[in-house]
Order: sequence, then structure tokens, then C-alpha cells
Amino acid sequence: MLSTGNDIVSLNVINKTRTNQPGFYLKILSDIEKILYRELEPAGIPFENFVWLLWSIKESAYKYLQRTKPSLVFSPTKFVVEQLQLPFGYNITNFEGIETEGTGFDNEAVLKSVIIVGSDKLYSSSLMYRELIVSVVNGNEDFENTGWGIKLINKSDPEYQSNAIRAFLVDRLNRLFHVDGLIIGKSTHGFPIVLKDNVEAGLSVSLSHHDQMVAYSFQFG
Amino acid sequence: MTRTEILNELKKVFAPYTTNKELLNSINDDTDLIRDLKINSANLVDIIIDAENKYNIEIDFDAADKMINVGSCIDVIREKLNQKNVEYR
Repeated sequence: MLSTGNDIVSLNVINKTRTNQPGFYLKILSDIEKILYRELEPAGIPFENFVWLLWSIKESAYKYLQRTKPSLVFSPTKFVVEQLQLPFGYNITNFEGIETEGTGFDNEAVLKSVIIVGSDKLYSSSLMYRELIVSVVNGNEDFENTGWGIKLINKSDPEYQSNAIRAFLVDRLNRLFHVDGLIIGKSTHGFPIVLKDNVEAGLSVSLSHHDQMVAYSFQFG
Repeated sequence: MTRTEILNELKKVFAPYTTNKELLNSINDDTDLIRDLKINSANLVDIIIDAENKYNIEIDFDAADKMINVGSCIDVIREKLNQKNVEYR
């Protein structure tokens, strides 16, 4: 079964002080995962960014697995990030423009990780800018058939976010597959699905929003 | 504390994180934090920390996993308060 999971974190609205308190971050990451920060520290990435990077990876992994395991509970410390790789010479930059999209991450400065959830092994690709973190999770290391997009929006109310991300994704799918009339619906278990004439299309999508930012990922066969 | 007392206090805990202020006044056990109150999942840890601080309790991982709707939040807080009272006796 095709699946994808994504998450976006707006670093503009996180509580930096609280994130740096053990009482907070130890509800997201374990002592073992805390050691992974040594991979990011030399690149000048603040600890709070590291915490929210791991959050976004874990949330994406949860969304990926939820499609095949609808009763799965999101318990951040049970989603274990085992490896975290930073590209050589990585420098954190500003998010330029209003939106960006891509297929795969070959041309991006991407942070890669491996996530273990029980007997499942998953892979993530994350983009980190000064303003935001986006993660996408896949079942293998190959993101060649993974589409993704990030967009800044004007409002943060849930209805606006929901409409904005759906319109953003449908526009991309129309351009990519030249199919009109696509609708983003919801499965009985609550995850997003793409419908064409009320029939589920053969791709898997994931939507996320935080503050005035939205992001999607999709996986096609 | 009764369930109603905890419910009324929980409304104050949820308030900074929900955009659905109207629903906040009429929440019940079945109200889902993400789906109904539109609380962003990134704020769920904030809610657990705020509840810990408000009631001077510690909410462990297993208990936190259950806090997906208002009723389960009240159950967890009552359980932790009861444990605390037993420890003090």
C-alpha cells in the first residue's frame, strides 16, 4: 500500500524557552536521541530546532503508518530516530519566496534520518530553514516518487489553512498529471485521500499546517 | 476534585491553544482535542506540561498517550491526583 507522511513546524511560533527545558523535550525525545544533537550542533543549529526537527520526523512517521495501522497511537518517544545525517557543509538559510515544490530531494540540502517504530523501519527527508522545518517520511530510502510542497499563507485559522493546503496540492497534481476534477477527501480513518469522480486515485497524500504555513507530500507508484 | 471541576479548569488549559473558542464553552468527554478543538498537534506537549503544572502532577508517557479527547484528559488527571493523594497519606 502506498503511503506518505509529512509535517511542518513554524519556528516563528515555538516557545524556545520551554523547548529547551528537559520537562518538555524529554516528552518528545529519549536520552539516546538527545545524543544525535552532536550531528547538528557544529552547523550552528539551535537545540530547539533539533527538538522540533525530531518532532516533525516522528509526526510524519506516525502519519505514514496510520494509513496501514489506523489504531496506532502517536507516542513520540516510541518513534525512535536512530540516525540523523546532515549534508556536508550544511548552512541553515532563510526560506525564500512564498512557496517551493519538488519531486525527490536530490537537489536540496536535506537532513536524512532512519526511524524505528516497533518492527517498522522508515526513512525521512527534512528541510530546515530559519523559519520552518518540513519533514517527509517514506518506507524506503528512495524519494524519487515523492512530491512535496511548502507554502506561506496569510492567515492561521484552521479553515483557511485547510482550504489553502488542499488548493495548493490540487494545483500541483493538476500540473503534474494533467487531470482535472481532483478533490481531496478524507478516509473513514481520517487521513486525506485524492478522489476523481468519487473514486480514490492511485496516490497517497499527506497534509500539514502550522501557523501561517502549509505543506503537502504525495507518493505515486 | 470532581470531573466537573477538572473540566472547568481544563478549559483554561486549552484556551491558549484552540482557535475554536465557541466550542470551548460546550466541550464534553467526547470532544477531540485535534479534530474538534482544532488544537495543533505541536501544542499537545504544551497542554500536558500545563496540566502537570496546574495540578502539580507528573504525566508519564503511557498516560500522555491517552490524552486525545476531553474525557481521557480528565481520566488521566483524576488518576494522577488520586495517586498523589495516596502517596501523601
